[in-house]
Amino acid sequence: MKRNSLLKSLSLTLAAAGLTALLSGCASSGVKNPSGVPVTEMKADERGFVTGTGVESQDLVAVTDKMARGILGLSQIANATTPPRVALDPVINETRFPINKDIFLTRIRTQLNSKSQGKVIFLARERMATLEKEREMKRAGQVTSTTDPTRQEFKGADYFITGKLQGLTTKTKAGTSDYVLYSFQLIDVRTSEIVWEDSAEMKKQGLEDAAYR
Amino acid sequence: MRRGQLKDRNTLAFDLRNSAWVIWRPVLAWAEFFGRANARRPFWPLPAARPIGRVMVALTLTLTVTACSTPKQKPHPLTGDPIVDGENAIAHGPERDQVLWQYRTALAAMRRGQYDLAKRYLDDAIARISNIYGKDPSARKARGYFQTEAKKTFIGEPYERAMAYFYRGVLYWMDGEPDNARACFRSGQVMDSDTEDKTYSGDYILFDFLDGYITQRLGGDGADAIKRAQASSKMWRPPEFSPKANVMVFVDYGPGPKKYATGQYAEQLRFSGGKSPVVSARVKADEQTGKAVPYDDLYFQATTRGGRVMDHVLGNKAVFKRTTDTAGTAALLTGAIMAGASHNQNAQLAGAALAGAGLITKIFSAAATPEADIRMWDNLPLYLSFVAFELAPGPHTLTVEFIDGQDRVVAGQTRTVPFTVADDSRDTVLYVSDHSVTPPPPPPESPTTPTSPTTSTPTSTPTPTPPTSATP
Repeated sequence: MKRNSLLKSLSLTLAAAGLTALLSGCASSGVKNPSGVPVTEMKADERGFVTGTGVESQDLVAVTDKMARGILGLSQIANATTPPRVALDPVINETRFPINKDIFLTRIRTQLNSKSQGKVIFLARERMATLEKEREMKRAGQVTSTTDPTRQEFKGADYFITGKLQGLTTKTKAGTSDYVLYSFQLIDVRTSEIVWEDSAEMKKQGLEDAAYR
Repeated sequence: MRRGQLKDRNTLAFDLRNSAWVIWRPVLAWAEFFGRANARRPFWPLPAARPIGRVMVALTLTLTVTACSTPKQKPHPLTGDPIVDGENAIAHGPERDQVLWQYRTALAAMRRGQYDLAKRYLDDAIARISNIYGKDPSARKARGYFQTEAKKTFIGEPYERAMAYFYRGVLYWMDGEPDNARACFRSGQVMDSDTEDKTYSGDYILFDFLDGYITQRLGGDGADAIKRAQASSKMWRPPEFSPKANVMVFVDYGPGPKKYATGQYAEQLRFSGGKSPVVSARVKADEQTGKAVPYDDLYFQATTRGGRVMDHVLGNKAVFKRTTDTAGTAALLTGAIMAGASHNQNAQLAGAALAGAGLITKIFSAAATPEADIRMWDNLPLYLSFVAFELAPGPHTLTVEFIDGQDRVVAGQTRTVPFTVADDSRDTVLYVSDHSVTPPPPPPESPTTPTSPTTSTPTSTPTPTPPTSATP
């Protein structure tokens, strides 16, 4: 009776073990990193693996904060007797990521406007069509005006802020790597001198799940 | 019979018509074992009553070994309108097919001139496919033995992802953002960068050419990209379009590649197609004519990508399925014979257990799913082309004639598109397909002052690529 019960237990245990082995089997044997690798942010000179390798919101925040601090610290801005007038020139995108280019300069402008305490004045060049139309209406007497509408009062820019995004991409079996260099300049309109320039760089790597490779 | 003792062979299911009993006997014997253990140890977590314990363990094992089928979503009834059907599928269909329907619907919308809709769906799709790194539960399941590859979120093969970026690039250029268009063409090329044979890596002619062409138009040096395009060209070399050209015409035609599965268990992904009744197009803008020759061939791109890592996974699944099927059959037959032929109760028990294990193994084999995922972006074209013109501001008419292999115009396929060239610096970008549904021409207006004739600027002609010795 003991032997029967032992045999029964043994066969059932073997069946259970086989069941477990089958259930826990994985068809991905022999595939490197089958589950992919999660995302971490890294320094530009550091190797690693990342996901979502494009330009993202945290990059925008970090870059524009740095640029705004740099411009505020400039002597031409900090020590100017009259606040210089700055216009925005569209950022040039040379990366492989389609982006909202205006958002970079918009954020730099809002940061400077909120932190510069009037030391920098921006010109709303993107609104020129609306402003000219308003002026024409005042000149034609269609709307009232508190000042003489025939006078030219639109201000010219003292500086332009512009920028460029450039990238390098590598894609292999080991994953995808993207490096993006964000560079911004403050250009003297009168002399074309670059009075200030700064840059920030991001590098990200990622590897997708084997099911997508 | 003593408590816990198995019944004799006359009660056992030696008769194959009662083979279910052969399956259940080892399971219930195990349940009985737990039940007896429970009787000895009252603190055992299973219920004290042996029948209930037996049933509970049997139920647990049943759920473990058998597939659990969830109620399938009812497919939305198709209306025949690709955009309506696509939007229904996006809104109500399974999430894993979202990107597929976004691709299809976006292209259908482009062919109807509904560019805002196309932008929306392509943006959603690209947002998904550009963030696939790291852990993905659906992808992990797809790699498992008992889930099909089609369980994963569809993002498309590299040629499909590249085309999503290509069409989005065309739309960015239409909106006056050539740099973002260039970014999309670059991303499309990156999608093609991980081929098995590096000869075919990043070899879309049009993507490189447009990268260089846009860079030149933006004041940069696009010579390297254009040289790469010319070096990669297999059929036609793009000409040097004028940097002053202000009307860009994208043309695509032919039926795109189709996926199918082959192999013992349909575990191998293959492509069919590569043939088209339309082999080129003649594009006329007023007095100017351009030749929209096939610079890129999507069937070539699909088939030269090489093997996938997932092919290896599916191969493993197929081996598992085959092996367990063979082993299960052997165990089932051997066990049944042992249980039926022997008078020894131990042998009967062993035979029953072996048969049970064999049947369970067969169930696993049947449940294994090595089938390749053949979901595809099925309204893609075969050939991609591009022509550029320099035209004066004002209204114009574009006529696209699709040409067959005998240099004849394919009847019923000619497309006519009225358009207006703006008087600012923005390029006019047009998209025409042999599947386009172009708007009818506007009704004739009252006679106007005749405009001065447009100078017929000779259009650059694409040159055929000299034949090379190695043809892929």
